[in-house]
Amino acid sequence: MLKYTIRRLLLVIPTLFFVALITFGLAKAAPGSPFDRNPDKPPKQEVIDRWNRFYGLDKPVYEQFAMYVVNVAKLDFGLSVVRQRPVVEIIGQGFPVTAQLGLQALLLALAVALPLGVISALKQNTIIDYVSLFFATIGTTIPSFVMAIFFIYFFALGLKLFPITGWGTPQHMVMPTIILAMGAAAFLARITRASMLEAIRQDYVRTARSKGLREQVVVVSHVLKNALIPVATVVGPAAAGLITGSFIIETFFSVPGMGREYVRSILALDYPVIMGTTLLYAFFIIIANLSVDLVYGMLDPRIKVAK
Amino acid sequence: MTGRRGGISFFVTLLALASLLVSACSQQTPTADQTATPGVAQGQPDLNAEVLLNAGGEPDTIDPQKASFVNEIAQAAFVFEGLMTFDATTTKPVPAAAAKMPEVSADGLKYKYTLRDGLKYSDGSRLTAKNFEYAFLRGCDPTQSGDYAFVLYIVVGCEAWNNMDPRKVSPAELAAAKAKVAIKATSDLEIEFTLTSPAPFFVPITALWIGWPVRESDVKKGGDKWTEPATYIGNGPFKLTEWKHNEKLVFERNDNYRKKIQFRKITKLMINESSVALAAYRNNELDLVGVAATDLRTVNADPELKSQLIDVAGSCTTYYGFNVRRPPFDDPNIRLAFAKSFDRVAFVKDVQQGIGKPADGGFIPLGFPGYDNTDKEQLYDPAAAKALLDKASPASKAGLTGLKYTFASSSNAKTRAEWAQNQWRTNLGVTVELDPVQSTAYSALFKKGQEAPQLFSLGWCADFPDQQNWHSTVWLTGGLSAGRTGYSSKAFDDLARQADKESDPAKRDALYNQAGKQLSKDAPAAWVDYDAGKRIQKPWLKGITDNPMDYGIPGYFAMEKIFVVKH
Repeated sequence: MLKYTIRRLLLVIPTLFFVALITFGLAKAAPGSPFDRNPDKPPKQEVIDRWNRFYGLDKPVYEQFAMYVVNVAKLDFGLSVVRQRPVVEIIGQGFPVTAQLGLQALLLALAVALPLGVISALKQNTIIDYVSLFFATIGTTIPSFVMAIFFIYFFALGLKLFPITGWGTPQHMVMPTIILAMGAAAFLARITRASMLEAIRQDYVRTARSKGLREQVVVVSHVLKNALIPVATVVGPAAAGLITGSFIIETFFSVPGMGREYVRSILALDYPVIMGTTLLYAFFIIIANLSVDLVYGMLDPRIKVAK
Repeated sequence: MTGRRGGISFFVTLLALASLLVSACSQQTPTADQTATPGVAQGQPDLNAEVLLNAGGEPDTIDPQKASFVNEIAQAAFVFEGLMTFDATTTKPVPAAAAKMPEVSADGLKYKYTLRDGLKYSDGSRLTAKNFEYAFLRGCDPTQSGDYAFVLYIVVGCEAWNNMDPRKVSPAELAAAKAKVAIKATSDLEIEFTLTSPAPFFVPITALWIGWPVRESDVKKGGDKWTEPATYIGNGPFKLTEWKHNEKLVFERNDNYRKKIQFRKITKLMINESSVALAAYRNNELDLVGVAATDLRTVNADPELKSQLIDVAGSCTTYYGFNVRRPPFDDPNIRLAFAKSFDRVAFVKDVQQGIGKPADGGFIPLGFPGYDNTDKEQLYDPAAAKALLDKASPASKAGLTGLKYTFASSSNAKTRAEWAQNQWRTNLGVTVELDPVQSTAYSALFKKGQEAPQLFSLGWCADFPDQQNWHSTVWLTGGLSAGRTGYSSKAFDDLARQADKESDPAKRDALYNQAGKQLSKDAPAAWVDYDAGKRIQKPWLKGITDNPMDYGIPGYFAMEKIFVVKH
C-alpha cells in the first residue's frame, strides 16, 4: 500500500510536467501579447521590447519553457506580466476563497445527497422517492447560472435575506455555497440511490436478512458499506470539480476567488498566472483521484491497489 | 475562450430578462442603510456617510506613473492630486497643488509652478516641490514608468532617458541621461520644467496622473508592494485604508487635504458583470452604477430606476480606419464614399440604444475644445457617396472585392460591425466580410504596414482636454492612428504642428479647426460616434458635477461639493 502510494505520488511529477508543457504550448500559440491591453493605445514598440526582455519573453519558446520548469522546481512561479505581482501572492489570495467555497459546497452536497439517496432507495417508488428524484433532476438539469439568477431575485432582492456581492461573512456565503452544491448534490444523490438499489438486491443482503439480522444492521453494515463504493469513486472528481469550477458562481456573486482571476489571466495572456493556476488545478485533480483510489482499496478489499 | 465568453453573455441576457420580469411584478422598498448616522437631520449632509461604488475589476496597478486604464487612474485619483486639475464645469486646467497658473518664459519654453503654502500628505508630513520633481522624473524613468511616459516627452531629456533599455546600458549612462532631464525643484515651493519646443498644451499635462506626487520614501520602502495601504500615501481627498484584492478597495477621508470633503468613506467593490452590478444596486449594495446598453431596457422598465437615470458625457470618438497604402482605400474618393454612407444618427439610436452622440463635428467629440460642428465633410449622404464611388479609379475599385472589416472581438463590437456591414451593402452596394480578432492580438496586425487590415475599428479617448492630444498625437505622420492607416498629409501636418506651438488661443483654435477639416476630407478614417454613458444613482447622493474627464469618478473635479443625505 505504502509502495503504491509512493509510486503514485512520484507519477505526479511527470503528469504535472506534461500539463505544464501542453498549457505552455497552448498559451504561446494564442496570438497576441500581454502588453497589448488596449487595442486603441498600444505602447511604443521600444516599451514592449523592453518588457519582453524584462520578463524573458524575447527568448525562444523552448528556452522560456526550460526556464519556467527550472524555476517551478525551485517553487518560483514568477511575476504576473500584467499585474506585476508574484503569482504565488495572487494565487495565495484567491485560492483559499475558492477552496473554502468548494469545500463548503462539497460538505453540503454530501450532507444532503447521502441521506436523500439512501432514503429514496429504501422507500423506492414511494412519494419520498419521487420527490427526491424530482429535486435531483432539477439539480442536474438547471444550470447554476439560472439558479443564481433565481436566488438573487428571490432571496436577495425579494426577501432581502442575503447580500448579493462580496465575501467574508456567513451571510455572503449562503447563496454561492448552496448553488454550487446543488449540481453535485443532485448527481451524488442519484448515484447513491442507484448503487443502494443495486446493493439491496445482492445475495449477501438476502443472506443477512435470512439470518434474521435487524433491518438497521442490514442497511448500515451490509447495504450502505457496499453501496458507498461507487459513490466514493465519484466524490473525488466531484470535489476537484467544485474546488476548481466555481468560475460562474464567483462572477455572479463577486467572490474574490481564483476562478475569475484564471479567466482574466487567459484573456489577458498573463502567462505566469495561466501556468501557475493550471498547475495548481491539475495538482488538485491528481490528488483527488489518488485519494479516491486509495479509499477505494480500503472500502473494497477485493480491489488490491497494492499490487 | 470564445465559447466561454458566449456563455457569459448568454447568462447575462438571462439575468436581464429575469430582472425585467421581477421589476414588472415587484416594487422596491429601500431598507435602512448602516451608513446613516443618528442625529443627522433629514436633508442635511451626513459627514459620516459611506459611498458604495463599483470599480469593475481589480485594477492591474494603481501606481500613478504606471497607470493607463480608467479603473487604474480612478483609484489613484482619490489619493493623489497634481499640480493642476480641471475645472468641473469648463474642463479648463486650474491650479490644484499649485497656487496659481504657471509662469511661462517669453520664449514659451520654461514653465514655473509655485505650490500652495502648507500642503501636507495624509500622514501629516509636508509636501514640497521636491516631491513633484521625484514624481515627474519617475514618469520618465525607464525602470519605473508605464504607458503614459510619452506625454512628458515634450520635456527636455525625458524621451532620451525613457527610451533607454536599463538592461543594455550602464547605470552611469542612465544616471547621466536622468541628469539631463529638465525637471527641477528650485525651492521648496517652486518647480521648473524646460520644454523642447513651445507647447501651451503642457499645462493640462501637469494635471495628469503621471505627475501625481508619489513619495520616494514610500516607493523605496514598499518596493513592488508600495501601492498597498501602508505605503500608498498621497495628498488627495482620500487615503487608501484597505485593499482586499479582487474584492474591494476602501478609501477614507483625508483630513489633511486642502479642501473639506463632506463624507467619510468610499468603498469600491469589484463587480465585473454589469447585470450583477445592477442587481447589487437594487439591493443597496451600490449607490451609483453605470448602465450598459444591454441593461437599459431593464432600467427603463422600472419607474423607480428610470427616475434615477442620468446621462454622462464621454471622452472618446470611435471610427473606422482605412489602410490608405493599398486598394481600395488608396483612393480618397472611396474612403469618403465609405464615410458618407452610414447613418450615424440611426447608429446611435438603434445600435447604441440612444447612448452617445453621432459624430457630427469631425474627430474631436462634443464637449471638448476643438469640437467643430462646421466640419460637414463626412456628413451622411448616400447619393453623394455613390457618386464618389463612381468617380474612383478602376484599379482601386477592384480592391473592393473580398474586402474585410477587422475588429477586436466582443459581443458589442460584433453588433456594431454587423450594422456597418449592412449600411455599406445597402447604401454603396459593397459587400464587406467581418473579421473579428482577439483584442490582445489586434495591435500585432498593424505591424505589417502595407499588409495591415484594409478596414478596421479604431477609437481614441482623451488623455487631457486639448486639441494637441487629438489631432497631433493621433494623426501627425507616424502618430497612433496615422501609423495604422498609413496616413501622411503634409497639409495636415503643417497645420497641426503650427497650432501645437501657437501661443495665441484664438489663432491656435482656428488652426486646429482647419487641420480637423483637412483630416475629415482626407478621410483616413470615418468618424462614427462620440461615446457617452448612462448611470443610475441613489437619491441620497447629491452635489455631483459631471465632467467628461472625471476618470470614471462622477463629480471628481468638485469632490468637495458631493454629499450624502440621511437615508
